[in-house]
Amino acid sequence: MRTAMRNWLVGVGLVAGLYLLGPVIYFNRVYPFILGMPAIIFWYALVPVLTPVILGTLYLTDRAQNPKGDE
Amino acid sequence: MGIVIAAAVIGVALLTVLGMASGARESRSSLAGWLVNRRNMGPWLVWFLLGTEIYTAFTFQGLAGYAYAKGGPVFYNVALNDVAYSLGFMILPLIWILGKRFRYVTQADFVAGRYQSRALGMFVALTTAIIMIAYIDLNITGLGAIFHVISHSRLSVMWSDILGFFVLATAVYVGGIRGNAWQSVVKDVFMIVALGALFLVFPYHEFHGFGPMFRAFGKDLGPVMTLPGKTKNFGLLWLVTTVLMTGMGQWMWPQWFGVAYTARSPRSLKIQAVFMPVYQLVKVAVIIVGFGALLVLGTHQNGNDVIVILARRLFSTPFFAFFVVAAIFAALVPAGPIIMTSASLLAKNVWAEHRPQSDARIYRATKLLVFPLTFLALFLALGAPSLLVAILLVAYDFIAQLFPAIVIGGLFWRGATKYGAFWGMVAGWAADAALLLTGHGVVGGMNAGFAALILNGAVFMIVSLATSKRISPAEHQHFAVLYETHEDPARTV
Repeated sequence: MRTAMRNWLVGVGLVAGLYLLGPVIYFNRVYPFILGMPAIIFWYALVPVLTPVILGTLYLTDRAQNPKGDE
Repeated sequence: MGIVIAAAVIGVALLTVLGMASGARESRSSLAGWLVNRRNMGPWLVWFLLGTEIYTAFTFQGLAGYAYAKGGPVFYNVALNDVAYSLGFMILPLIWILGKRFRYVTQADFVAGRYQSRALGMFVALTTAIIMIAYIDLNITGLGAIFHVISHSRLSVMWSDILGFFVLATAVYVGGIRGNAWQSVVKDVFMIVALGALFLVFPYHEFHGFGPMFRAFGKDLGPVMTLPGKTKNFGLLWLVTTVLMTGMGQWMWPQWFGVAYTARSPRSLKIQAVFMPVYQLVKVAVIIVGFGALLVLGTHQNGNDVIVILARRLFSTPFFAFFVVAAIFAALVPAGPIIMTSASLLAKNVWAEHRPQSDARIYRATKLLVFPLTFLALFLALGAPSLLVAILLVAYDFIAQLFPAIVIGGLFWRGATKYGAFWGMVAGWAADAALLLTGHGVVGGMNAGFAALILNGAVFMIVSLATSKRISPAEHQHFAVLYETHEDPARTV
């Protein structure tokens, strides 16, 4: 349970960190354009695609840890 | 425009009939069955129904309106749901385990069980039912904006809202207690086709492609797309505090908290958390169209109207008629469960808890409450006409105050007491009301609801510590189910 909790908090931190620290550190700007998009639009189009990857990895570690439970 | 209005009328009628078809199969005693669906939904059904309920008139009309009226702060809304899904990955399964073990059906049952206090459960049921009226208001305002635009402003905003109220209340009352899966399928497919078409047609029709559109954004919008955009004080600290507060608030909505009780297993809830974020891309598309509206329509439109105005401008009449029907469904289909959850909380967790009633009477009372609750929402819509997003943000300021009592005290900290939970919520709501009524939506750069949540958490902890000698053995048992069993908790029942 303890490891599962720790992994979960890391996942929450990653998702929230990308969304919030991205603009705080750099992406709250229009230029440069990235892939043809203004920087802030690029960032808010990229992170929604990364989030399922992060949560999917969390899911796989969670299942590896606790293969039989939760069914 | 006759064809558009005809399509709208036929669409609403068909949707209501679809609801009645499923309502007819329901027995009068099926209230509990409706509330939890006997914990039998697999991950895909949970994903689908949750998607239907979370992406409402707000996604369809409100987001574009916010991008149009305020600029960059709109991005908070993309982050909000994804932060909430990552939190829900663990929170919802824990709530599921406790719900199964102690047979909880609603959020109020959970609170009453955790703190061994029926009074606190009734208090939470009553207050959340009232906060949910703001969400009904949002969908009435969304419907009103559609009627306002398709009547070419011949119907004033006020009469459009009143018509929205009648359509919504009647559809929910006649259409039965719970929308069926077909309503959800139709609504989601219509919404994605309509918004997808708009997102693809808009750049080519108005700017000759995505590249030229983004270049025009850079040249003519510039900093409007960043924070604070067109607002004075919605800066980066506002973004961070708003996303944290609303992310914690999302699962506190009783209708979404209840999703934890509909799933077949904790595994279903974890899988849906992985795939729900995919829906967020619809939001990004709508935001881009909302920015574009600033260049195409000028700045004089009402934000709530822009998406429908753009659709009218871009599409042929038959496809515009389809778009309008999709927009109406996006407001009507999710509003049904919201109204019914609010009504059933009042009927089951307040009225019947106070004085035991038969299931048939609870069911009747739930249905009878549909009109008064929707009417209160209309009253709110007419009394305080606002951007959809402004309504949503205020509602989140209040609902998020449940987080310390339900998540921290309910799942992680066994030292929390009912006194701490109660006084924390009261302090949070009082701070919200005081700040919002005096026009302080932003305090020291922070979202007011976040500031209230900090106060709430402090009061919750201090009062809990001061009253910690009064924790009952039954409350300890609650945590034993989660943490002290060596068996797999999901199998202890």
